[in-house]
Amino acid sequence: MKGLAVSLGLAGRNLLLVRRVPSVFIPSLIMPLFILIATSGAFHGIGALPEFAGASYLAFTIPMAATMGAGFAGINSGMTVARDLEGGFFDRLQSSPAPRVALIMGPMFAALVRSIFTTTIVFIAGLIGGVWLPGLLPLLLIYGFALLFGACASCWAIGVALRARTVQAAPIMQLVVFLSVFMSVAYVPASALHGWLGNVAGLNPVTYILTASRSAELTGSIIWSETWPGLVAGFALLILLGIFALAPLRHLENR
Amino acid sequence: MTAAIPVIRQTAALAWRSIVTTIRLPQAWFPALFFPLVLMAIFTASFGGAPGTIPGFPPMRSFLDFAVSGAIIQGVLIGGTSAGAAFATDIEGGFFDRLVASPTSRTSILTGRLGASIALGVGQALLFIAIAAIFGARVDGGLIGIIVVVVIATLFAAAVGGLGIFLALRTGSGEAVQGMFPLFFALLFFSSAFFPLDTMVGWYHDVAALNPITYLVESMRREIIGGATIWTALTGIGIALGLALITVGASALALRRRLRVSA
Amino acid sequence: MSDQAVETRDLVREYKGGVKAVDGVSLTVESGGIFGFLGPNGAGKSTMVRMLTTLLRPTSGTAIVAGHDVMKEPGVVRRRIGVALQDAAIDPYMTGRELLRLQGVLHGMKRADCRARADVLLGRVDLENAADRRVGTYSGGMRRRLDLALSLVHEPVVLFLDEPTTGLDPVSRVTLWDEVRRLNVEHGTTVFLTTQYLEEADQLADRVAIIDGGLIVADGTPKALKARIGYPLLSVVAADGSTPDDVARVLSGFGEMVPGARDGGAAVRLPGGSTAMADAVRALDDAGVRFAEIDLAEPTLDDVFLASTGRHLAGSDDATV
Repeated sequence: MKGLAVSLGLAGRNLLLVRRVPSVFIPSLIMPLFILIATSGAFHGIGALPEFAGASYLAFTIPMAATMGAGFAGINSGMTVARDLEGGFFDRLQSSPAPRVALIMGPMFAALVRSIFTTTIVFIAGLIGGVWLPGLLPLLLIYGFALLFGACASCWAIGVALRARTVQAAPIMQLVVFLSVFMSVAYVPASALHGWLGNVAGLNPVTYILTASRSAELTGSIIWSETWPGLVAGFALLILLGIFALAPLRHLENR
Repeated sequence: MTAAIPVIRQTAALAWRSIVTTIRLPQAWFPALFFPLVLMAIFTASFGGAPGTIPGFPPMRSFLDFAVSGAIIQGVLIGGTSAGAAFATDIEGGFFDRLVASPTSRTSILTGRLGASIALGVGQALLFIAIAAIFGARVDGGLIGIIVVVVIATLFAAAVGGLGIFLALRTGSGEAVQGMFPLFFALLFFSSAFFPLDTMVGWYHDVAALNPITYLVESMRREIIGGATIWTALTGIGIALGLALITVGASALALRRRLRVSA
Repeated sequence: MSDQAVETRDLVREYKGGVKAVDGVSLTVESGGIFGFLGPNGAGKSTMVRMLTTLLRPTSGTAIVAGHDVMKEPGVVRRRIGVALQDAAIDPYMTGRELLRLQGVLHGMKRADCRARADVLLGRVDLENAADRRVGTYSGGMRRRLDLALSLVHEPVVLFLDEPTTGLDPVSRVTLWDEVRRLNVEHGTTVFLTTQYLEEADQLADRVAIIDGGLIVADGTPKALKARIGYPLLSVVAADGSTPDDVARVLSGFGEMVPGARDGGAAVRLPGGSTAMADAVRALDDAGVRFAEIDLAEPTLDDVFLASTGRHLAGSDDATV
């Protein structure tokens, strides 16, 4: 129980920093919005592809923008850990009796809260753009899978931060997250992907996460065949990346 | 005439220095090559079914042919921002002051950096065309087409370089210049760099139609996918030249202002 | 056994490449005192502190802090120690009050207790006015005071201070010394501080260990260490008709003469120190010996360091270097 209180305390600190460090706050607000608008605006024409069957491209983009927003939140949580390690604040955390797990859970909780925030922004922008999702279920799926991806991105970024111990590791955190989304069904559904990208996307867990996120959008009810692969892929990824993030904790004292 | 020769030589020397320092620092050139090429690959694979199926697409051999010009413009944009940031770093680090205190002509401080941007822009455009060619792209306009594409890319490189230098001189901070990049990236998206203008709708279409980058890209694109005329070529070259004159002029003024203040 | 705040036996920390930052240190710190760990830059002080505060794993040897082994029971140790490291580990975007409350949360204190404790400590280190300003706006001295307050949130048994006054102006330095003394006297907290300033070790510490190149080269109370060098040297220059021999005759009764130590005068090692100096002056007066100059040079910890290592301790001259 003490671990939970500490995690929440650290999460609170992270969220405080988001408000106060302008170079973090503004981008995290604007980026998901920009992605939604730019993607759905520039590639609007792709909605005419038969694979879309007349669905709105804006609606198709909303889950992707929400996912990217969660990805950004995850990266930022890793950057906070990196900054703390570089600046020495992490010493204070490490020499306290706080459970080691809390040092990771705190930033991750903050990333999850911010993922909810960014997903909401994307959803509202979608509403303004004229997208009315059929019922609550699609919304639930979009939020849920955004959180799942955000947790994964957070574990990845924190794992990198704990190993690199410097803010110079930012590009590595960003590149992997961005590529994992781009090399999937970010812009078109799986049926439209051919060639090398079709193969890569087929192996990419994010493909299944995104497909699942979108799976209730058209009809308002869950299409299980599209949803369960996302759950499996997402949680498997989370477990793997969770191990990636937790492993360095044991050896913190060796540096 | 006798005064012009040292300027040329100094320009060449400073340009050479900028080129060498850029090449030696991976983080200076890697983003400008990696991101445009990766996006080009992903878009080509994602939108392969679009040409011929979707209304609004001009006739073309493949989406790859369509995407090359957008990638070149994106690459030049990233490269130009890095160049501006490097110039700002020179100011921060004192190299700029050292130049000013030496008998180096003021002009060559500017033309040196611009010369490097231009040279790197040429290299980048040719590299992208070559890479696309390896994956099956063909330039419809032939050799002349390639020349037009490279000329537009180069002039745009000068324009972005000029803007970068202007920002560097006004802010004196590499971080501030680098921070401008998201804005430029947004500008790129609100154009026809990645998808045809005619497929866009509503206000988005109108914004893209006003964006000079749209016309630059279209002009280059026509050389590659076909449909180019003297006019389309001149439009592109003209706009790029105009942008270059504006930003280079602005940076010349900014340079004079900075030197006057510090003198 | 539990009377000792810190006990190490052959503690070693070796880095890749065979560099031994700490090369077999055995020391004991009694509870309730102020222990000074003195040494030049790179001597191994910070490495020692990091091992004792569970931030770094020793390569070999044992360290028992506040009654518990740092390697076997790090969690228990962390609950009993307070840590204020060299680069005041703070977050510039948070306020002092927020940082103190967070520290309380890290130690598992309840919300209400965190708040109360933060208020108390802010008062104690005199940061009440700045409590709700961002730490990034604090001066160096204020940051150190906050760092000290943060290390006291959970009322530790042993407090570790790594170079607490490095880089501070003289006034802030003295303020911090007063804080540390008050802490030790009023709350009985054992203080383990590292420093490169001999004046700091001299002024604050009950016991001092001098470290150089990862090894302890001297260990004891400041007074005893200095006494080992020898007694202070009193040198007197004769004047106005009195001769050096006159001076020598009087002074020889006070201690061992040091021939050739002073031109035109005489020098004697005074076991009694400055108190004996008064007697010596009176004796010279009574004997009618007149003198122009009189000088008493106390041995310093730098002399101790010099005697042990053949080098001077950097930073021994000027505290604001």
